[in-house]
Amino acid sequence: MWNEIFSLTFLTSLLAATIRLATPILYAALGQIFTQKAGILNLGVEGTMIVSAMAAFTVSYFSGSLWLGFISAIVVGVLWSSIMAWLSNTMNAVQVIAGIGLNILGAGVASYVYRIIFGVRTLPPQIDPFPVVELPLLSKIPVIGPVLFCNNVPTYIAFLLIPVSWFLMERTTFGLRVKMVGEHPRASDAKGIHVTLIRNIAVLIGGACAGAAGAYMSTAYMNLFTDNLVQGQGFMAVAVVIFSKFRPGWALVGSLVFGFSNALQMRLQAIGAGIPNQLLLMLPYIVTIFALISTSRKAEMPSAYTKPYVRMER
Amino acid sequence: MKKSLKRMALALAVVLILSAGFACKSKEQGGNGETTGDKLKVALVLPGKKDDVSFNQAMFLALDSYAEANKDKIDLKVVENMYEVADIEPALIDFASQDYDVVFGHGFQFMEPIVKIAPKYENTMFLLGTGYKTVDNSAVYDVHLEAGGYLMGVVAGLATETNKVGVIGGADASETFRGHEGFKAGAKSVNPEVTIEEVYTGDWTDTVGAKEAAIGMYDAGVDVIWHSGDGIGLGVVQAAKEKDKICLGNVADQNTLAPDNVMTGIVYNWVTVIENIFNDINAGKFKGREESERFYWITIENGGIIYAPIIDPKGMLTEEDKAKIEEVYQGIKAGTVEMPEIDEPKN
Repeated sequence: MWNEIFSLTFLTSLLAATIRLATPILYAALGQIFTQKAGILNLGVEGTMIVSAMAAFTVSYFSGSLWLGFISAIVVGVLWSSIMAWLSNTMNAVQVIAGIGLNILGAGVASYVYRIIFGVRTLPPQIDPFPVVELPLLSKIPVIGPVLFCNNVPTYIAFLLIPVSWFLMERTTFGLRVKMVGEHPRASDAKGIHVTLIRNIAVLIGGACAGAAGAYMSTAYMNLFTDNLVQGQGFMAVAVVIFSKFRPGWALVGSLVFGFSNALQMRLQAIGAGIPNQLLLMLPYIVTIFALISTSRKAEMPSAYTKPYVRMER
Repeated sequence: MKKSLKRMALALAVVLILSAGFACKSKEQGGNGETTGDKLKVALVLPGKKDDVSFNQAMFLALDSYAEANKDKIDLKVVENMYEVADIEPALIDFASQDYDVVFGHGFQFMEPIVKIAPKYENTMFLLGTGYKTVDNSAVYDVHLEAGGYLMGVVAGLATETNKVGVIGGADASETFRGHEGFKAGAKSVNPEVTIEEVYTGDWTDTVGAKEAAIGMYDAGVDVIWHSGDGIGLGVVQAAKEKDKICLGNVADQNTLAPDNVMTGIVYNWVTVIENIFNDINAGKFKGREESERFYWITIENGGIIYAPIIDPKGMLTEEDKAKIEEVYQGIKAGTVEMPEIDEPKN
């Protein structure tokens, strides 16, 4: 068993799977960094992902264009999260409840619309998913090549989004405003910053990224849509944001930790490690909990986290 | 503040009503609602979707066609996606208190709820899809999957060129567990040297996990995988397609999903069992039976399990191999192939 674990093929396969499983979490987490930093806890990421996954698949299936599907998923993600933006910023709803409500609604809408469009078929409709694009030269490096440079384009985009979101958050006025409305909305308001607008934009950015995550699931990772396509990645992304203390680079680390432990448990089961499969299935979640315990104690949450801002209120 | 509270409550109410509406609509389809006269009111409660190309669809199609053929006697209502035990119990109580005559709970997770509820609703007859516990007004219909798995094990053991085969399933319970044990025994019977990798994704709907597990196996040198059905099957087939390796199906012929990669598979035929169940019900023989008699099996012997035509896209099977597979199939049918003793975990 041990020589199987320490073989090069095992390692390559394990790390490649880590990237595959981490990508959707990374997408969603990068967006949620903005949402949460602006003081909004959106637990509806999971629902946004499932609705967008359905949209991406449906549009790709009928148009034949994966990219059109990908973009539609982002649009749907933005539209869907605009409900959350309205509930949390205009209606001042309790964010946790609104998010959970939107999750349930999302799961229902996705499977309902899918059934209306595709009906009951003896075989599920399928598409050809995003192909693997090997980057020249780089993909020939042993281990690192096949792991990092033999992926599909949406995966590369996810990794490119890390520096982009870092820049947006740390080096632009917009990023500063997002942080301000999350820390002290009243002071921001007095400074002439439109608190509701900034918060809405932050929620919509989160929605766009969750939309991309959903599109990744149905058109890059899989080639079809099922009700259970998104299994907790949305919630995992929310946890990753807290783990990362709102830093894009660390969001990557958090996503990779989850992806790695999930990929590892599958492979340990397969080669017969002699550990009960129920225990192995818990591994990713145990790792996530420990990662959260070790870091989140020190996490500095935005002061106005989950607190609606009402101008006339004291 | 008061105004915003009101608006908030209104907004939440709208969301909840919408979600409730959508949830109901997506779950309850088919059936004609009102029952008429002395028709049997039958409910089929599925843990997954009726178009999952697997466990749920096989049952749905069989029962639906039976109900269609017996329109004057049966009124069928189908409910989908009752996966969680917490949802199952109220659903069963609902049907029983609406005077449904027959309720099918199509899955292992219905076992405890049925055993708990059935004694309180003596006029309703409950059927459990795979499991082992029964009460007087309930019975079990089940798949003799150890035999099907055994046959798939023989196919995999003969076809493999790397001497590594794999099996992926939902959870190690009931027929899935028995199928996996049968698969291992079958593979070993024709190829004692073979290495068998096994993964349970922990969830019959985990398409993503199953795909990842299959890719892991193929990367490790496995060249034939059998999956034991449901949503996970779609993941395994997709992995086989991407890695261009072989997989074997379960429940329904899945060759059309990936013509170059699905070699064969087990096909369930529930029709005989459904006929037997309704014959017993109509003859009034359903209740008052000994515990050991409350079982309906689909087996290779009674034609409930067959295998899909072998398509060998990669030329991994010789004519002798194919003859051997048919021989084992006929052997199981005639009872001459010795099946392994399987100790099913019961708790």
